[in-house]
Amino acid sequence: MAVEIPKDTWTGEVHAVTLGAIEADGGTRTKTVTVGGEKTLPFMHFEGETPNAPVVAVEIKDRRPDDWSPLLEEAWGSAMDDPAAWAKAAEEAGADLIQLSLSLTGSDGNPTTPQAAVDAVKAVLGATGLPLLVFGPGQADLDNELLVPVAEATKGERLVLGLCEDKNYRTIAATAMANDHLVIARTAMDVNLAKQLNILISDMGLPLERILMDPTTGALGYGIEYGYSVMERLRMAALQGDAMTQLPMIVTIGIETWKTKEGKVGDGVPEAWGDWKERAINWETLTAVTLIESAADIVVLRHPESVKRVKAAVTDLMTV
Amino acid sequence: MYIIGENIQFMSDKVKAALKERDARFFQKLAVSQVDAGAQALDINLGPRKKDGEEVFPWMVGLLEEVVDVSLSFDTTNIAGIEAGLKKVTKAQPIINSTSAEPERLEKVPLLAKQYNTRLIALTMGKSGIPIGADERVNIALEALIPRMLEIDYPMTDLIIDPLVLTVSGCQQYCPELIEAIRTLQVAWDPPIDISVGLSNVSNAVPNDRRALINNTYCVMLMAVGLQMMIADPLDKKLKEVVRTVEERDESTPAGRLYLKIHDRIAAMEEPSPEDVDMSDPEQVAIWKTVQILLDKVIYTDSYLQV
Repeated sequence: MAVEIPKDTWTGEVHAVTLGAIEADGGTRTKTVTVGGEKTLPFMHFEGETPNAPVVAVEIKDRRPDDWSPLLEEAWGSAMDDPAAWAKAAEEAGADLIQLSLSLTGSDGNPTTPQAAVDAVKAVLGATGLPLLVFGPGQADLDNELLVPVAEATKGERLVLGLCEDKNYRTIAATAMANDHLVIARTAMDVNLAKQLNILISDMGLPLERILMDPTTGALGYGIEYGYSVMERLRMAALQGDAMTQLPMIVTIGIETWKTKEGKVGDGVPEAWGDWKERAINWETLTAVTLIESAADIVVLRHPESVKRVKAAVTDLMTV
Repeated sequence: MYIIGENIQFMSDKVKAALKERDARFFQKLAVSQVDAGAQALDINLGPRKKDGEEVFPWMVGLLEEVVDVSLSFDTTNIAGIEAGLKKVTKAQPIINSTSAEPERLEKVPLLAKQYNTRLIALTMGKSGIPIGADERVNIALEALIPRMLEIDYPMTDLIIDPLVLTVSGCQQYCPELIEAIRTLQVAWDPPIDISVGLSNVSNAVPNDRRALINNTYCVMLMAVGLQMMIADPLDKKLKEVVRTVEERDESTPAGRLYLKIHDRIAAMEEPSPEDVDMSDPEQVAIWKTVQILLDKVIYTDSYLQV
């Protein structure tokens, strides 16, 4: 007996957002990456089109970080001492995008200078042809102080600047507008706030095609279900035609999973937890794949093995 | 619409100060102004008053009964305080606000209501909180609240069920479900049990200048499924005007006509339709957008009227 599969009909769709610009379009990237454009919930291929597969960004830093896991140091080795070398290694590991996080301080302990930030960004742009996301250190004043010169020095590249938050979005959105870049709008796991920030940023004049939203998530075991629900609800609203939610979503999985006990601690944990490295990679991979199933368009990861596994899962999921 | 006046309310700084000073005149004025504006009962919400409840509640009853004749609603979790207040009541049948379906509350509070012949507001909230779904809330009424009243032989005509209004800013999914919960509760018992809600909860955490439109629109939507009693501000002229518009089916203004169309659609279990709305009239567009957020069709944000 033939079973008819019930289908939802959606009236809305997610904006397609293109990261990076090739030379002809005013940038220096050798390729661009387009995310979003979904006309249905994740991987419901029988129901509607998913024109762009979810992609993986690999997080690198402008200098060797002081607080990353030895497992990550083992994986990236001496490349961590040089952002250009790290970006190259990340590209070789399968990254679709590079996400460069600027540090709060240089290795000398002084605050990162605008010149140092620009140099790091330029070095990465020179080392890889992939589109680039640049995050400030996460303190409003310093973020603005660093991201504005970075945006100006890379005009036309369609970088993604992070992060716009409700208390600090004007400066970053304005410089993105002036220099042909994109922004990430991050809010704390709340659908109302997520939509509100999108409204505020687009009110400034930045087109929705240049905004990604980061609804924030927790790692597996640390609130992932809330992150999942928020993303699912935002995506359903988008597909139902709620214009201010129709943006692709990015989540920073790496930073969340590598600070969990399961990811971070090798000694003094129950034997049943098994091999540390395998467990840490599983934690990052499972968190990422779960949120991709929810609606993530870009996942930011740290370990090269996680990149490989997540990309393999996406390939399977995209197979019709 | 039977309005239980909500203005004797501990969250207000003036009430807090007057309570501290034991300013009887302040409370008498607040009571008279609400009753003059049409309140048929007065809610007394002074917080738990753990230390002085047994002194404060009788004091409040005494001073209020000097100036008004309406029912007094004891809105507190302090059972000893309620009982002390009830002993002092000499006028209208009082109300206890409230019990929930949590076992400990449901054990004690209905017995008190029966002993003192009071009405009782019962919340559709169990020990695991307030369910989102309409059916789950109705089930709490049918499987916990009503059976307990039958068990102690409490008169069903004195029971008031409150299926709980939650804010559109943060609990948006609850908003349409409450409408359906009220619709179902109307027919869940014969004769129908009275239903009351705290209307203004729907706009908690919403910026002040936007609360009235949300409260008023939701009121119309709840009246459509039979709401006849609510805890609200009887001095709120716009809210009362909306209630009057619906009750008298006053079609003399464009907004009034739209409210009635929304009311009738929801009463008929239809979705309100954009064709009911004159999109060139900003007032009607604002009402329409408010209906969309209250039905959870569009995600609420503080600037929902702007998009």
